[in-house]
Amino acid sequence: MPILNSVYRHREAGHVLRDLADYRAVGGFSALVASVSDMEADDLLYVFHRSGLRGRGGAGFPMGRKASFLPKDAKLAKYVVCNADESEPGTFKDREIIEMNPFQLVEGVALAGYAIGAERGYIYIRGEYEYQARILDAAIRAAREAGYLGKNILRSNFSFDITLYRGAGAYICGEETGLLESLEGKRGQPRLKPPFPAVAGLYSSPTLINNVETLSALPPIVTKGADWYAALGPEKSPGTKIFSISGHVQRPGNYEVVLGETTIRELIYEHAGGLRDGRRVKAIWVGGSSVPVLGEQHLDTPLDYESLNAVGTFLGSGGCIVMDDSGCIVRATLRLASFYRHESCGKCTPCREGTTWMERILQRIVDGQGRMEDLELLESLFGRISGKVLCALADGAVAPVASALKMFRDDFVAAIEQGGTPRPEPMWPATPAQAR
Amino acid sequence: MTADQIRAHIEPIRDEFAESRSLVLPALKYAQTEKGHLTRDDLDAVAEATGFSPAYVESVASFYDRLYLEPTGTRVVSVCVTLSCMLRGADEVWEHLCEREGLSHHGGTSEDGRVTIQEAQCLGYCDHAPCIQVDADETLGPLTPEAASQLMDDLHVAPAPEEFWR
Repeated sequence: MPILNSVYRHREAGHVLRDLADYRAVGGFSALVASVSDMEADDLLYVFHRSGLRGRGGAGFPMGRKASFLPKDAKLAKYVVCNADESEPGTFKDREIIEMNPFQLVEGVALAGYAIGAERGYIYIRGEYEYQARILDAAIRAAREAGYLGKNILRSNFSFDITLYRGAGAYICGEETGLLESLEGKRGQPRLKPPFPAVAGLYSSPTLINNVETLSALPPIVTKGADWYAALGPEKSPGTKIFSISGHVQRPGNYEVVLGETTIRELIYEHAGGLRDGRRVKAIWVGGSSVPVLGEQHLDTPLDYESLNAVGTFLGSGGCIVMDDSGCIVRATLRLASFYRHESCGKCTPCREGTTWMERILQRIVDGQGRMEDLELLESLFGRISGKVLCALADGAVAPVASALKMFRDDFVAAIEQGGTPRPEPMWPATPAQAR
Repeated sequence: MTADQIRAHIEPIRDEFAESRSLVLPALKYAQTEKGHLTRDDLDAVAEATGFSPAYVESVASFYDRLYLEPTGTRVVSVCVTLSCMLRGADEVWEHLCEREGLSHHGGTSEDGRVTIQEAQCLGYCDHAPCIQVDADETLGPLTPEAASQLMDDLHVAPAPEEFWR
């Protein structure tokens, strides 16, 4: 069904737009046509800036401002890099965009390329998304054959092409400098910043890096105007955001909402069908797993950057994981700690060793070998990991553990006193998929 | 895989990168499509085709979870065990599959060599939790232990794919 106030055309149209003809039928590529024939690159950049669009990958940095950091007089080639390494736990919105509407991303990457004066864009897609990579590959080829990519696009002076680059299984390659390292054919270990990618990114050249959802928002911003986008939602958090919701909800899935107009409660109970009968919300990781956890008392918080910051968490990637009161917060926290231990790239000692110790301590609490002083030991680790490393993975690892320990301390104490925590019964799918 | 085969794969895309080092990962992924893992000879062939040392090539290969430096089963089944899937029964699916294949709860390769099962971190199919991925190109869910077991029945008899994208 078509939906109102949608930025993503497959959602607006209410159907899949995997064929070029279908994408063009809903206005696809009109933004690129208009830009390369009638607009100066700087004017396009200014449209991005005025829209107020913020990066949807997790950090929420204003997209137009980021693009304006690229030096204008650089002699080196400039690059656009699209981060399609969607690996944040609970996040599957980019997968949907690529599967259902790959051309909007292709057009967005090309628009960004025109605005910054690049001739080459890269889409870095996680290795596990091979199915999606094939769809995107086909879309890039079709766009090229139709003249939307390649030399002198639409007979303009603008030449631009896109290379799809497949990762090979590493969460850290979603970190922008880890991604660049991987794209340069190296181990995907983050770099020291500064210099930031805008100045010295891919091959030490000025590079604009944005997420799939961010770049896909550009075509409608150009077509409908920066004012249209800026008027959606609050002034500092304009636009729509796709929230991926999963866990103990009846209808897990992607839901696009105008920022600031929907609360967490509405997302869970109206969009995602609520919880099972008789269950209450226990914990919510609203922006992926690398954010401080929220509880039932936060259900009426509006979904936008500022409101979520005000209650101590982040909008992040919009991967909202919900756990009801059948779940065990100690086990859930351990599971996230294990994720970060596994995904720490090992370059910075505080992260490599710190994530190992967080997991080990939480594991022994779950197994019934916890001691009361383990809670202080855990707390003593946080400040020795956060801020002592090159990238945000470590902060992401600490956030869910530190916040859970603070908000649900009684549960951790009980787990220690009672000699561990039994594994709760999971919420089984109502209709399991059939094997092939 | 031979260096010539790898060259034939990477030469057409060489111009897309300012530095040829970027070809190492595509070369490794392509070399792996032949057997599903990378042997010493494969690493040497990638080194020859890309012009980097075998030691360098191995240092890259060893970083990525989905490049296998040891032999695997014919199919690699990844069971997502991250939080969203855990809340929907991933641990039960995982343990059921391990026991079914006569493996410890650490996973491994079935006795007939057909299937390797491994834990995976979030596969981005949380709306289909609990989910399972077969190599990298097919993801299924939501699954119960029984449905997952049926999938394994199929995998034990299905022909090997022509190329291994994992």
